[in-house]
Amino acid sequence: MYLFANATIYIGLAIAIYSLLIITLGISTKNQKLVDSGKGGMIALFVCAAMAMISLFYLLATSQFQYEYVTDYTSSELPIIYKLTALWAGNAGSLLLWTFFLTLYMIMIAYSRKMKGNPMVPYISAILMVNAVFFFFILGFVAKPFVLMDTVPTEGKGLNPMLQNPGMIIHPVTLYLGYVGLAVPFAFAMAALILKNVDDFWIKMTRRWTIVAWLFLSLGNIFGGQWAYVELGWGGYWAWDPVENASFMPWLTATAFLHSVMIQERKNMLKVWNISLIIISYAMTLFGTFLVRSGVLTSVHAFANSNLGLYFLIFMGVAVILSLYILMSRYNLLKRSAGEFNSFISKESSFLVNNLLLVGAAFAVFWGTIFPLVSEAVRGTKVTVGMPFFNKVEAPILLSMMFVMAVCPLLAWQKSTVKNLRRNFMIPAILAIIGMTLMVVLGIQKAWAVIGYGVIILLLATHFLEFYRGVKARRKMTKETPVVALYRLMIRNRRRYGGYIVHLGIAFITMGIIGSQNYDVETMKTVGLGQSIELRDYRINYDRLDQKKEGINDIVYADVTVFRNGKKLGTFQPEKVFYGNWEQPSSEVAIISSVKEDLYIVLSAWEDNGKATFVVKVNPMMDWLWFGSFMIVIGALFALWNGKYGNVTPRYTGVRKEVS
Amino acid sequence: MDLKGVGLMKKNTLVMLGGFIIAGAIVFLLMAATPGSSGVELTMKELLATQAQHKDDFVTVEGLLMENTIKWIPDKIQLKFDVKDNHGNVMHVIYHGTKPDNFSEGVITILQGAPTKLNTFQAESVKTRCPSKYEGKDMKNYDPEKHKQLLDKPTKK
Repeated sequence: MYLFANATIYIGLAIAIYSLLIITLGISTKNQKLVDSGKGGMIALFVCAAMAMISLFYLLATSQFQYEYVTDYTSSELPIIYKLTALWAGNAGSLLLWTFFLTLYMIMIAYSRKMKGNPMVPYISAILMVNAVFFFFILGFVAKPFVLMDTVPTEGKGLNPMLQNPGMIIHPVTLYLGYVGLAVPFAFAMAALILKNVDDFWIKMTRRWTIVAWLFLSLGNIFGGQWAYVELGWGGYWAWDPVENASFMPWLTATAFLHSVMIQERKNMLKVWNISLIIISYAMTLFGTFLVRSGVLTSVHAFANSNLGLYFLIFMGVAVILSLYILMSRYNLLKRSAGEFNSFISKESSFLVNNLLLVGAAFAVFWGTIFPLVSEAVRGTKVTVGMPFFNKVEAPILLSMMFVMAVCPLLAWQKSTVKNLRRNFMIPAILAIIGMTLMVVLGIQKAWAVIGYGVIILLLATHFLEFYRGVKARRKMTKETPVVALYRLMIRNRRRYGGYIVHLGIAFITMGIIGSQNYDVETMKTVGLGQSIELRDYRINYDRLDQKKEGINDIVYADVTVFRNGKKLGTFQPEKVFYGNWEQPSSEVAIISSVKEDLYIVLSAWEDNGKATFVVKVNPMMDWLWFGSFMIVIGALFALWNGKYGNVTPRYTGVRKEVS
Repeated sequence: MDLKGVGLMKKNTLVMLGGFIIAGAIVFLLMAATPGSSGVELTMKELLATQAQHKDDFVTVEGLLMENTIKWIPDKIQLKFDVKDNHGNVMHVIYHGTKPDNFSEGVITILQGAPTKLNTFQAESVKTRCPSKYEGKDMKNYDPEKHKQLLDKPTKK
């Protein structure tokens, strides 16, 4: 087994190098046979990565503690699902997962029907293959998954209990799919530049793959936030931690690309900008990995520190320099035949503003993340910027972003006339103003909340109008019932309406964020048995403190009965778990959700006489956040789905005689 | 909105100008927000030497916990304890909150707050750090000596 498992890695490295060389040779000599051989190598590589995954899964599942990785992250009493998911608990395993996804994406592209006969394929393959060589090199020499111990321990060290949560099963997987996914548009962009062929087909394919990566990145971030909310016991979901920022930055730049590429499609503009965004997004995934794995920043997520981060930094540096070189050498080609802006107030310029805001937001996150390093280098003291910094900077940027999102759908391409503006925005603007006035009258008076919700009302109104007008126009021609018309309208314009659904999802998330950030209340109180804590409309009766045993873990729990406005909601058990094989206990919070708000109860300390200290929070509108996340996924899938009608990415029909 | 009146200037240039204004605004926002919401990371020695000038700052400082000084008053939810460093400096800490997990002798505590009174640190957050935080290392081999060494180079861990 040891031999087999290690063989998958080293043979994989050999195959990756071979394929890279043979494809490059095939491209330069225009020899289809050589390219085909390299493509065969891709399948072999995928098999290697899959075999390595299966080996590690097998070793973890059967608790083969002679392997260091198995010992470090599992123990024999762990439920089987967490034994398996321990694969991505540590460095080596998570990089193996990353490599596996990379090889998977590679064969999906090289053997895709749509890409058949496309001369870009060998280039894309070669570029992705460079990534594969890097990852197999790391697995083979830096973070080795299959290392034997000198002595075989009888028991493993166990999996960090915080990672024993359903959220952690899926969060890393989705995040890595997103990270790796961004390598694909990068490879497409580079291939197109090398071939001097940035055409419509390229745009469609790149955009599709970017949506895939974007969807997974979004999911990864959402699952991460949800995990933090239920598992970490501080009542929040986003802490602007370096690691969170590392996945948020590529998300922002990828979002910017998805929008600005539409202008390229329509008007043949912003080509250099778009390719730069792809390069930045890709570089950010590597930079994020460097941050997380190198330990240069203090972070709650920090993995074991190693020189792994350095390799990523070097790889990123090389990738960025090479890609910038290619971009510069093709600069004239891209510059040619560019369109022009016709007016300040048009869809194009609103897209541009949107892009600047997104990239600005990404830059602000970047600035805050690396600020401690910069200040240490420049002034000698490490100046930290915390959550308040990020909230202060990002709130206005992202709120302006929401405003642009609200007005953009109803702006015309080319130029919006005053008449056009009045027709489109009169009703939404009035609605928003009425809404804001109502809020102030009804007691919602915090500036952020009023402005934020006002903008969201505007957004909902403009998006409703967009749907409404689409249906109306369709019915005029087809005489369908409204529901049928809406359905057909949407499935025939998947990208557009999928995008709108995502917008609505973002609106719901924003409502949740504004509500939970501005109107949360928290209390910390020590109470005796039988006493109660009151917070807003809630009364929490502390009935009992007890202890139980679950497997090798000891659990201390409190029985609390919760009443809202005098009505009983039920009995809940916030608990603290002491692990048999882990030093730090962890809190299991009790969360009582409703559409309006979450009640969040943490048992934080207790005395011998039965007194206990609770932290109780009310987090308004948390469900809105999760609902919005759900809509984002639906919207992105809707835009991706290949329907029967139109909008299917065309097959390549180029005429150039090339290797493919 | 018609831009005919603008005359010779190219519209692209104008739009770009608008773009620069937005970019400028974001940079301004960054500059404005940085000092107000940032804090400084100091060692205990530096902090104790310059307490007065950091009175209103948001300071991050690390120290080794002295277990026998812990006083926990549940009804007031107040935690008092002392931390020391390797140079014999001792600082009192007051914190409104509960004991963090793993609060034992010699563990590195990360304190955030301000030195409001002489040799007394009013902490807004108290966290503990051990070298093996998220790795499955055996905590039974926990070694206060190792923490002492680690304290001197806190950022590199």
